[in-house]
Amino acid sequence: MPKCLVCYKWTLDEQDIKIRPEDLSLDSSRAKGKISDFDRNAIEEAALLVEKNGGAVDALTYGTATVKQSLKDCLSRGPEEVYWISDASAENADANVTANVLAAAIRKLGQYDLILCGEGSSDQFNQQTTSRIAALLGLPCVTFASKLSVEGDTVKATRKLEDCQEDVVVKGSVVISVLSEINKPRIPSMKQVLGASKKPNEEIKISDLGLKPEDLQPKAVRKSVKGFVMQRKNVIYKETNAADNVAKLKISLASEGLI
Amino acid sequence: MPGIFTFSEDSALAKQLLTPALELKKSLNQPITALALSETDAKELATLGADKAVFLQSADKWVDGFAEAIYAQVSKAVGSIVLIGGTLRGKTVAAYVAAKLNAGMTTDAKTLKIDSGKLLATRVLYAGLALCDEEVALPAVATIRARTFLAPAAATTAGTVETVTVSGESRITVGEVTPTGTAGVNINAASKLVSVGRGFRKKEDLKLAEDLAAALKAELACTRGVAEDEHWLPIERYIGISGQTVKPDLYLAVGLSGQVQHMVGCRESKVIVAINNDERAPIFEAADYGIVGDLYEVLPLLTAALGK
Repeated sequence: MPKCLVCYKWTLDEQDIKIRPEDLSLDSSRAKGKISDFDRNAIEEAALLVEKNGGAVDALTYGTATVKQSLKDCLSRGPEEVYWISDASAENADANVTANVLAAAIRKLGQYDLILCGEGSSDQFNQQTTSRIAALLGLPCVTFASKLSVEGDTVKATRKLEDCQEDVVVKGSVVISVLSEINKPRIPSMKQVLGASKKPNEEIKISDLGLKPEDLQPKAVRKSVKGFVMQRKNVIYKETNAADNVAKLKISLASEGLI
Repeated sequence: MPGIFTFSEDSALAKQLLTPALELKKSLNQPITALALSETDAKELATLGADKAVFLQSADKWVDGFAEAIYAQVSKAVGSIVLIGGTLRGKTVAAYVAAKLNAGMTTDAKTLKIDSGKLLATRVLYAGLALCDEEVALPAVATIRARTFLAPAAATTAGTVETVTVSGESRITVGEVTPTGTAGVNINAASKLVSVGRGFRKKEDLKLAEDLAAALKAELACTRGVAEDEHWLPIERYIGISGQTVKPDLYLAVGLSGQVQHMVGCRESKVIVAINNDERAPIFEAADYGIVGDLYEVLPLLTAALGK
């Protein structure tokens, strides 16, 4: 019966971020938080594995003060308990800092059979954390899994890579990242949402992790961040007569040398 | 002594990595060491500007398992820059090496230069909504995706080639490896794409898009929803942040709203055309040309018009 830990990130919903036209800076004042998309697949996969094999799922997250908003959503998706680390360092954390914090917290929490992450966060999409956690903890690492199963102390995974599918088998503890195609995250039912408020959450103080100040200093620093603006012609045909629009589009395509 | 290292298991990408490596060498005046998984690759990389090419020889063929061996090579030089081909395996290796080096890493760098003794890279954030300059103190690791740079021309002097025997990852057993291929279709190579979204009501209706694609001599692509949720088209055809990135001459988007996660995969297309019934759909802002209308009415008309 696997003991699973899912690591997730509470991110801004990029759909709500607007680009200020005057200086291309990002306006995230209206952006709500969400559990990073691919991390929801990781939570779902852990929940499914435990529903099938028994065992338990805990969750772990590191973020700024807003991370507390994520706890109920996380717990309604299956985990029995969520551990959270809230620290201002998360604001500018790079993957090195994030992995330092998560790995230290995992050492403190004790041994897990499976440590699951999403393939990348929906904000930065560094795709580094899984591999880094494995390196720091000295555990084997299986990234980009599209299928997972557990038999006793053996984990079987199918990885989906650019040009192949690869089946791998690992005995003992392993760090895994999952692809979004591995499952369809549940929309928590009313019962699951209500049940989430009864489940425990526990804060882990960053000061209790035995980290040095430099472990929390990002080595990759975001300098200028600018909204990406596409320069497009925006010639839109919207007559009520579809045939007229099609005729105009055909002329446009011809003028571009495309037909 | 610090140096510049490159690694990719993909032979073509391994060559492309030498282009930014040679640029960085101009600023840093440090030697380039190319790490390779075959002797053929190592020999070729030594003719393309690598001062030294190292063939990492192992009985184990699992690429991800070479991470420790790559770290061992790189850690001999203090304060280095490591450029790794941004395949999925490459990213796994790169993040491992970065963690062991206690180094910062920039993922999918589009440009790289040295600024005030640090590596300065440009990359995307928020699924492509924003671009950012990321500054990484040395030692630094960067992944670079295929076709970001062209391979360099042959160098005037060839580098040395050596073979190092290394061991792989013993804790993981690799079983069956099934090539997925794309059934003869290479979405990346297509000069025209008709891309479909969930404006189509059912799988059979994709016939309308297939007919249009045939008239345009285009390939069919799709959104993540169409591939992953509906399973109407193979995953290999989906465009977006975790799918394919394409740069065709024509990207004709039908019945897709143009969310940023999708657009990041196609926004470098030469011409983008949108067909959507929702005038406020973001795809129109990202399009050169567009038709506001019902795809079920517009597509047959367009296919017929192009057939003439």
